[in-house]
Amino acid sequence: MNCRKVQSLLPLMAGSEIPKSKILSLKAHFENCPKCQQEYDSYMLTLKKTKEWLAKDRIDWEERDWQQVLKRAIKDKKPEVSPLVYWPFKKVWAYSLLGMLVVALTLLFIIGPSITQKEMGLGSEKFTEEQAQLFRSSPEESEQEVVSMTIVSKETGLKIVWFLNKNFELEVKE
Amino acid sequence: MEMKSEDELVEEVLNGNHRSFELLLQPYRQGLLNMANRMTGNLEEAKEVCQEVLIKVYKHLDKFKKGRSFKSWIYRITVNSAYDSLRKKKKYENFVESQKKIGFSASYDPEKQLLNREIRAKIETCLRDLSPKEKATFLLRDGEGFSIEEASEILKCSSMSVRTHLSRARKKIREQFEKINFANTREVRR
Ligand SMILES: [Zn+2]
Repeated sequence: MNCRKVQSLLPLMAGSEIPKSKILSLKAHFENCPKCQQEYDSYMLTLKKTKEWLAKDRIDWEERDWQQVLKRAIKDKKPEVSPLVYWPFKKVWAYSLLGMLVVALTLLFIIGPSITQKEMGLGSEKFTEEQAQLFRSSPEESEQEVVSMTIVSKETGLKIVWFLNKNFELEVKE
Repeated sequence: MEMKSEDELVEEVLNGNHRSFELLLQPYRQGLLNMANRMTGNLEEAKEVCQEVLIKVYKHLDKFKKGRSFKSWIYRITVNSAYDSLRKKKKYENFVESQKKIGFSASYDPEKQLLNREIRAKIETCLRDLSPKEKATFLLRDGEGFSIEEASEILKCSSMSVRTHLSRARKKIREQFEKINFANTREVRR
């Protein structure tokens, strides 16, 4: 090892943060290099002294201050217990699952009604001529107070009867 | 009285036991204050940092992973809060000067204060050229006695990076230390 390399290792050698094998070769270098040895001694002294100073100048809280700091921390906010505390897997999975559920529900909400309409045969193209007849008014019907309208589904046979008044407003039958 | 584990205390705090919060923090109250004090170079600022730390710890206690080191977790929050404080007030470059103006807080014992004034000035001089990261690394290792691995967990960096910062810090400190020593020997000769 040359002096440059040795000197780069001295700060960590002073705190024994390098492998023992390296320490041995560094010590071997010191045998023939008083300059590096001197540098090492200087690092050792600095570290010893600074540690000493830090320990001597250690401060503590005044009990009153410490209690106040604790009280303020507790007052500030209740610890938030996440609803996923008991979730045994990664929390990311739970959140993505939740996200997928939301997307699925949204899609069902948008596409859903058109599917059920089709299934019930309520699509406009599904009316038979007979059913369409109901929409056309005849002279006698104009006298009537109430008009009934029946829609029958071709596939399911589901029958819906609407009662409409003169103004074609839906009548509620008791 | 039976000693409760930190995980147990955490659980109790989460269940609303305030006394357990104090018990949980008791072993670290001094360490946190000293770490914050050295990082900011100002006791009042350090107390504010500690207040911030305790609020964060209480608020986010459910995010602490049981079985991990609570000590490392709380020091990590302290170092980050100190960084924030330094950034916010942009005081870092001038902290030595501001320290001189503010003087020492009344919470120091006056007798001890006189004795320690010299030491404190020496520490401040030694730390003056360190970057916040170098300072945090040095204080964790040589002030608080954390291992390289623990420091790397606290600082969320590799142990290689901890070594680099620690090495740089000690080099800068030695330069200042030599100056202090040189001045002292001249003083004695006179
Ligand atoms: Zn050499």
